[in-house]
Amino acid sequence: MSAGDKFFHLADYLTDRLNPILVKETRQALKSRQFIITFMLLLTVAWLISVFGTVWYGPAIEYGSAGRAFFVAYYYVIGFASLFVVPFGAFRSMLNERDHNTYELLSISTLSPRQIVNGKLLSSMVQVFIYYSAIAPFIAFTSLLQGFDLAMVTLFLVVGLLWSFFVSMVALMLSTLSSNRQWQAINTIGMIGLLLWQMSAAFGMSAVGLSESIPFDSEEFWWVLVSFLVGAGSFFLLAQQIAISRLTFESDNRSSGIRIICTLQFWLLWGGVWAYAYRYGTAAVDEDVIAGCAIMSAMHWLVAGLVFSTEADHVSRRIRRNVSRLRVVRFLVAPWLPGGRRGLLLTTIHVLALAIFVRSGSWALWVQQMVAVAALYVFIYVAIGSAIGRLGQMVTPEFRPAHARVLIILIGALGMIAPYLPAAFGFTRWSNVYSLGEVTNPGGTLIHISETAYGSGSHNVATTHDVLLILIATAGVALLINLKAMYQGFSEMVSWNPVNAAESASVIVEV
Amino acid sequence: MIEPVSTAAAVDQRGEPALELRHLHRFFGRLKAVDDVSFKAWPGQVMGFIGPNGAGKTTSMRILATLDTPTAGDAFVCGYSVVDDPDKVRRYLGFMPDSFGKYANMNVVEYLDFYARAYGLRDAKRRDAIEHVLVFTELRKLADKAINTLSKGMSQRLGLGRCLIHDPQVMILDEPAAGLDPRARVELRELIRLLATEMKKTVLISSHILTELGEICDSAAIIEAGQILAYGTVDEIQRNQHGGSTELTRVRSLHVRIAAGDDVQSRMHSLEKWLLEQPLINLVQCAGAAAIFDFEGNDEDQQRLLQNLIAAGHPVIEFYGKTQSLEDAFMNITKGITQ
Repeated sequence: MSAGDKFFHLADYLTDRLNPILVKETRQALKSRQFIITFMLLLTVAWLISVFGTVWYGPAIEYGSAGRAFFVAYYYVIGFASLFVVPFGAFRSMLNERDHNTYELLSISTLSPRQIVNGKLLSSMVQVFIYYSAIAPFIAFTSLLQGFDLAMVTLFLVVGLLWSFFVSMVALMLSTLSSNRQWQAINTIGMIGLLLWQMSAAFGMSAVGLSESIPFDSEEFWWVLVSFLVGAGSFFLLAQQIAISRLTFESDNRSSGIRIICTLQFWLLWGGVWAYAYRYGTAAVDEDVIAGCAIMSAMHWLVAGLVFSTEADHVSRRIRRNVSRLRVVRFLVAPWLPGGRRGLLLTTIHVLALAIFVRSGSWALWVQQMVAVAALYVFIYVAIGSAIGRLGQMVTPEFRPAHARVLIILIGALGMIAPYLPAAFGFTRWSNVYSLGEVTNPGGTLIHISETAYGSGSHNVATTHDVLLILIATAGVALLINLKAMYQGFSEMVSWNPVNAAESASVIVEV
Repeated sequence: MIEPVSTAAAVDQRGEPALELRHLHRFFGRLKAVDDVSFKAWPGQVMGFIGPNGAGKTTSMRILATLDTPTAGDAFVCGYSVVDDPDKVRRYLGFMPDSFGKYANMNVVEYLDFYARAYGLRDAKRRDAIEHVLVFTELRKLADKAINTLSKGMSQRLGLGRCLIHDPQVMILDEPAAGLDPRARVELRELIRLLATEMKKTVLISSHILTELGEICDSAAIIEAGQILAYGTVDEIQRNQHGGSTELTRVRSLHVRIAAGDDVQSRMHSLEKWLLEQPLINLVQCAGAAAIFDFEGNDEDQQRLLQNLIAAGHPVIEFYGKTQSLEDAFMNITKGITQ
């Protein structure tokens, strides 16, 4: 066997161990015009920068800080390829599967949705690595110049690389959201806009970062960086899980993975706050930070809760069969299992945890009130959404979870504008003073409460108490409407008998 | 469920069916695309799935291929439910849709190689599977050709090869001969026949070219407006003895020829008059020395009719039941209902 044969044999052996999508996509990508053009363009532009930059600097290149300037230019070139071209390629790659009618054949192979998503992502990563390796000689050139900072360059290249993976994952996720051509066209335009926006934002932030020295010896810098990476990592996992769920077979569990990651994100946020408070003391944690985190958590559970609580309640035999046989495990995991009623339970547990967490801390009254109000709003809207979903399903089987979600968004929007309609139509006068009539507007109410911290609003404790009382009463009604459903959703999974499930499932015959 | 009248002689139906649809329903809003469809197919059987456009063939096939889920009922491939075990079903199933997309920047071998990998074949198994498919589909000489430059016939061969790459027990072919020239159709037909006879695959095939289906299928199911109207061996369906419930099932076409001579016209006139007087006979048509008519009796009635014909003095030289083609059967059984 010749050396060439040995090499191909080894390559064949190794590629057999790789994700098949990665092998296919890489083969296709390396033959594609898009890759060849981008690669040649990248090399040409980087070469032109080197030549014209050197000419422009002249003898000053010997003693000025040209290294940093050259790096910035090369960074923008690689940034265009890795933050726009590659993520858009990932987006198109999944859309093309549907457009070219190849996805169905892919979906009925033995590849799992996870393998499909990861394969597409990995092939994007391979392309980014190739672009990085193409720009590497030019970066090496900057290291010979004055002003080159190895730590800074490494940091920017690594963060840029990770950001590219993140954006590619989000692009892949967005490409799985639409299946019909009209939505795909709108989605594509939106995607281009989003990619351009994030690329310009990334370039803007890079410009600021590159113009200053990076405080590598500051603990705060590392807290911010790690928080950013952990946060982005959690959203990366969420995007990945959503994409996988979108490609998962209808009778399979599409929900639990997303529920787990949403839960993880919530606890990561508050775990981070707790870790910071533990390290530097509670006093070091600003009340605005707590209020901001609480509002983020409330928004998080509002969106996630609306999605989970409006899911169809039917649980397929396939999902039931995979539920643990141990009753205690089913008791513990029930809120994370699919179904709208369990989704509402999961949301309720977390908004309750949020309120208790903030209440148990020694933070100012306005923070506690604000978090309680936000938690109550989330519960009320999600509970109404859940009830609408169940009611709609009772009325007609044509009623889909998406209908309930749209309805609750419309109700929310109406609640926000309704208090201002009389003034808008000239029946009353506009007033800057918060009134109880505005209680249907969560944004206005929360702003009103936060203003008290700065003494700029019309806040008084009595009004806030009234708001709280109204919201507690409304939440109580929402709870009463949903209590039975929540209990049924929980007990249904706890009392489920896997033995009977196996009997009712199909008889499996080995052929 | 419509049960077949008798079992196909060539197929062993004693074991488990390789393919089974059990009270399958699929509704899209108010449209009942598939409405209580049940049938079975055994290893080595080529089953035709016949119906007009919009009858529910493709929907049923997509459910079998785990591309869609039934509203009610279930379907089984090698004993595995398409609802509960789609991943296991996929291991035993090859599906060839009526049209399938092709990847850009990929040649024939790379295409097969990708699907071999996608079905978990590794190392020598993968290489052997690709080689076997290239030989079987006679695509060896086109191995390095870009797949989006293949002719329709070659594309269909490639599609068939892709279905075969993981050596599935059951193959579902949705209109595989659509758009093919006569030579490509004959070649594809031969390949499909080989799948059943030599490789013992169960093949469910839908086509609008019923004459071809009649030649390659040993059984068939006729579907219209989401419901199975007839199901049995091709012979049974052609003889209208399938398990369907329409009145037409008892009607057969009979042919009588009398000896030609100078007075053939008067003899034919006499025969026509005699036939019209007989019970169970309708639609008598005479031409030359022959008469064709619809007969609603069974085999015994037919035997008695022949005896009476001769006893009545008609100089019968030919008397046979005209076997209707699958196309005739299809036209008789279906009512042209569209949803």
